[in-house]
Amino acid sequence: MSREEVAAAQGELLRSLLAGGSPPAGFDPGAIRVEAAALLGKRRRIVREIDPGTAEELGDRFAELFAEYALANPRRDGSRFREDAVAFAAWATERGHLRRARRRWWRRSG
Amino acid sequence: MGEHLGVGIGWRSEIDLTVERMQGVDFVEVVAENIHRDHLPESLRVLRARGLPVLPHAVSLSLGGAEPLDTDRVEHLAAVADLLDAPLVSDHVCFVRAGGLDSGHLMPVPRTRDALEVLVANVTQARSILGRPLALENIAALLEWPNAELTEARFLRELVERTDCLLLVDVANMWANAKNLGADPVELLDGIPLERLAYVHVAGGVEVDGVYHDTHAHAVPQGVLDLLGELCSRVRPPGVLLERDDRYPSDAVLADELAAIRAVVAA
Repeated sequence: MSREEVAAAQGELLRSLLAGGSPPAGFDPGAIRVEAAALLGKRRRIVREIDPGTAEELGDRFAELFAEYALANPRRDGSRFREDAVAFAAWATERGHLRRARRRWWRRSG
Repeated sequence: MGEHLGVGIGWRSEIDLTVERMQGVDFVEVVAENIHRDHLPESLRVLRARGLPVLPHAVSLSLGGAEPLDTDRVEHLAAVADLLDAPLVSDHVCFVRAGGLDSGHLMPVPRTRDALEVLVANVTQARSILGRPLALENIAALLEWPNAELTEARFLRELVERTDCLLLVDVANMWANAKNLGADPVELLDGIPLERLAYVHVAGGVEVDGVYHDTHAHAVPQGVLDLLGELCSRVRPPGVLLERDDRYPSDAVLADELAAIRAVVAA
């Protein structure tokens, strides 16, 4: 394994854990599922802390919707959790899960 | 061996007053990424004015990542260390970013010769920027890479010896790996160069569906304190620090956890 090969293997592992890629060869698929769930849970907790209003309005659907959003939008290198929270709220609003009038930036600009 | 630190607790803005008021806190640690490089929170200025060491602890250098080191992050850590006049800094033996993605958490590296070379190169480069001692911490993992060529002990030993780093031994992470991966924590303690110990991390966690999660948000299990005792039977640790990051209990409960740590160290 060269440095490039280590990099490729690490990228493949993260795609599998964060973006729905297949488990890389040799890994225990059960462990991949456990790790993926743990990473998703941590990301969801942080977004909930940053934007509790969105989580509160989505109520019981928050976890399920966040999982759907997260899989389609894995966190990019260099992105911030604050941006993640804003992007999730926008994603949920676009899909009609959040009332637009509740969005904080409306209140601020008003 | 690192310089004497005593018993400490992770400083977090949510418990800043708790930490300031707590008796018998000899040092604290701050997550470097949460601190501005040009000014400190008032609470940390208070602690520094009392002469308490405040050690910056980084979580995002991705020292085990095989892509080029993000030197901006290393420079941030160095600037925070300057601001705190910190005797040492730390990060983990892990990677965080790869292939354009950010895991948001500490991921294990393959225990291969090639992955070790990546770490040695990154740590050497980071040290040249930091200009002060760097301690490397063992992580908790929920999965293992296939085809390991080295034991964790051998891997850590070669890494810190070749890069002349210190060790930050997290006994809660060792406990988690014992529970989840069947790792042998005593074998690990026997195989790592404890003469390079900077300090020790202790934290709590919770078991969910048969998996132990090192949450830093639950009570410290007896098994973790027992492992601290195992470590103390081999070496007198320069410092032991409690990490608590969420679901903060009452000040009294935190004080009890520090007292339990102190009792193990003094035994």
